[in-house]
Amino acid sequence: MLGKGGKRKFDEHEDGLEGKIVSASDGPSKVSYTLQRQTIFNISLMKLYNHRPLTEPSLQKTVLINNMLRRIQEELKQEGSLRPAFTPSSQPTEQLSDSYQEAPPASSHLGSPPARPCDLGSTTALEACLTPASLLEEDDDAFCTSQAVPPTAPTKLAPPALPPEKDSFSSALDEIEELCPTSTSTEAAAAATDSSKGTSSEASIQKPEGPQESRTDDSKLIDSLPGNFEITTSTGFLTDLTLDDILFADIDTSMYDFDPCTSSSGTASKMAPVSADDLLKTLAPYSSQPVTPSQPFKMDLTELDHIMEVLVGS
Amino acid sequence: MFPKFSLRSMFHGAGGGNDIQWCFSQVKGAVDDDVAEADIISTVEFNHSGELLATGDKGGRVVIFQQEQENKIQSHSRGEYNVYSTFQSHEPEFDYLKSLEIEEKINKIRWLPQKNAAQFLLSTNDKTIKLWKISERDKRPEGYNLKEEDGRYRDPTTVTTLRVPVFRPMDLMVEASPRRIFANAHTYHINSISINSDYETYLSADDLRINLWHLEITDRSFNIVDIKPANMEELTEVITAAEFHPNSCNTFVYSSSKGTIRLCDMRASALCDRHSKLFEEPEDPSNRSFFSEIISSISDVKFSHSGRYMMTRDYLSVKIWDLNMENRPVETYQVHEYLRSKLCSLYENDCIFDKFECCWNGCDSVVMTGSYNNFFRMFDRNTKRDITLEASRENNKPRTVLKPRKVCASGKRKKDEISVDSLDFNKKILHTAWHPKENIIAVATTNNLYIFQDKVN
Repeated sequence: MLGKGGKRKFDEHEDGLEGKIVSASDGPSKVSYTLQRQTIFNISLMKLYNHRPLTEPSLQKTVLINNMLRRIQEELKQEGSLRPAFTPSSQPTEQLSDSYQEAPPASSHLGSPPARPCDLGSTTALEACLTPASLLEEDDDAFCTSQAVPPTAPTKLAPPALPPEKDSFSSALDEIEELCPTSTSTEAAAAATDSSKGTSSEASIQKPEGPQESRTDDSKLIDSLPGNFEITTSTGFLTDLTLDDILFADIDTSMYDFDPCTSSSGTASKMAPVSADDLLKTLAPYSSQPVTPSQPFKMDLTELDHIMEVLVGS
Repeated sequence: MFPKFSLRSMFHGAGGGNDIQWCFSQVKGAVDDDVAEADIISTVEFNHSGELLATGDKGGRVVIFQQEQENKIQSHSRGEYNVYSTFQSHEPEFDYLKSLEIEEKINKIRWLPQKNAAQFLLSTNDKTIKLWKISERDKRPEGYNLKEEDGRYRDPTTVTTLRVPVFRPMDLMVEASPRRIFANAHTYHINSISINSDYETYLSADDLRINLWHLEITDRSFNIVDIKPANMEELTEVITAAEFHPNSCNTFVYSSSKGTIRLCDMRASALCDRHSKLFEEPEDPSNRSFFSEIISSISDVKFSHSGRYMMTRDYLSVKIWDLNMENRPVETYQVHEYLRSKLCSLYENDCIFDKFECCWNGCDSVVMTGSYNNFFRMFDRNTKRDITLEASRENNKPRTVLKPRKVCASGKRKKDEISVDSLDFNKKILHTAWHPKENIIAVATTNNLYIFQDKVN
């Protein structure tokens, strides 16, 4: 009842990690710190969006959860602003900044985007590898745009770290799954937003129209419906999950072959927790050709081929 | 002049946590484990004499227990508490504008001091405060000229004599009637009500505002604190509790979700947004964690009877503040420090948001608060000793002395100790009350009310 044991398992694996990390920062404790931060971030998001009350949610609880999310966001932002200093190679950085350009709001809001890890020493590299699949849901666009950058050594760290994550997050994932079905169509997006409070779906669908408008609408919402405080502040985290981004995730599938962190998500219609085995498979031949994607991918690719054939009329 | 037991408790280490031997006295409520949601107790409060004990529940009902007059011959125990009155205080409502239900759960009950034969109390749910009059009727008029005893009207032509109706005794009937309804003044959820020492006004506090009412006037209230920001997105702090000073009718305090307490003087200005005093303890850097803010959120604030001190309850501790010293509390008591390493799990299952209350004994020497696993804790401010007791039907025999409990934080568990991992976090004691004059305490588990008293020889 108290804890799912994930953290303890992680500690066991930490010993394995220590040998592999070559970094200036104290690896294991930083890893567990970021892991815990990630956990708390996800739990907090779930709390805000899972709540389907018949009565008004507690404002105190909402405020405290929001403060928690903001604090974590600030930390991630600060770490994100430090990252370029650690990057040894310029190319990944450029591509990083490209991904920043392509989806600026997402990156800026979620702080360090779970994008390409570029440096052994960078803690955010670990973060990126450790990003649980649930977070991928929130940040599809960043993944879409983090293309074609070959994963570097730090990704080796991922496999040992992820199984315990999976254990800790499996129930969290189920709930996120329930909330945000990943058939990345407009309907799904609407359904995902609808699955939270009715008014919040209204608010988040307004978002694509631009922050300006939605702000005014939100402020109107706030004045007349003070209980919707949670909508206006928490949708800040969803600001950038525009419908376009979700659609993009659907279209371009080739990049997923290269990205171990997203290898089992993206166009997959069902979110499967990342397993260590999958990752090892994706990691091993990364230098050569696209690795065997997981089952759902295969099906989607063949479907896509089929569709292309039909369209081209061959 | 004083009954034998009161003298004894006054002189015999009054209220000492370990000096007193607490005994089971009574338990009220359903026996079965299946708890009906409406029966969940949401507030407990003794009246000013201690003769009456009121409870409110999630179903909007108020149940008042009355202490039986002491049997002076049989001085084994103090009088038992039996049901005196039950009434439906609040009903569920529907807010059509927001399409949300307004819960009928009674958040707080506060008694007014008794001025005449009737008793008055304020009860509140999230939005509406009601003043209830509880009165006894033990006589009824008999001998009307124009009516029969059963109420039927007599044919006037058959009336040949006149008589004066007289009052005759009848079975005691306790009636509760709503005398005032104070509504539509709170946009957010009311968390506190507090009656002023002038006995004419009272305050009600919600998450962002505090209003001042006159007990006689229901269509007007004055806003005395407003912390709502212009832009709700900037909201980071809410009001969690508020209380009037027991002696100074111009002074009140309110606590926040960031662990601060503000003392305000209503003479300073009409809107008391600027505090006279700010009580805040600097954070202990060694204990810093992700959850520091959440566990610092104050769930209850209570003035001592003397008015010199106030007590605050946050998630892990109880703090006593001297009103003359703002920068730190004068005493801190750890309620369940062993939970500090479990905060992440407690955050996940929402237990970290549980709002525990706290209370003083009559002479301000002992404080009490609840915990999990149906445990509750008492701290003796003089001897610095504390005790953990359990509210459970297992100690059902009256005058059974309660056995102290111990939670084993880590490592080897001694016999009779309970390990942290086997605590039942669904069994929480949030509401406790201490008789204003005697060592009688009321402890509410989820749906049962336990009454304990000190051992009387």
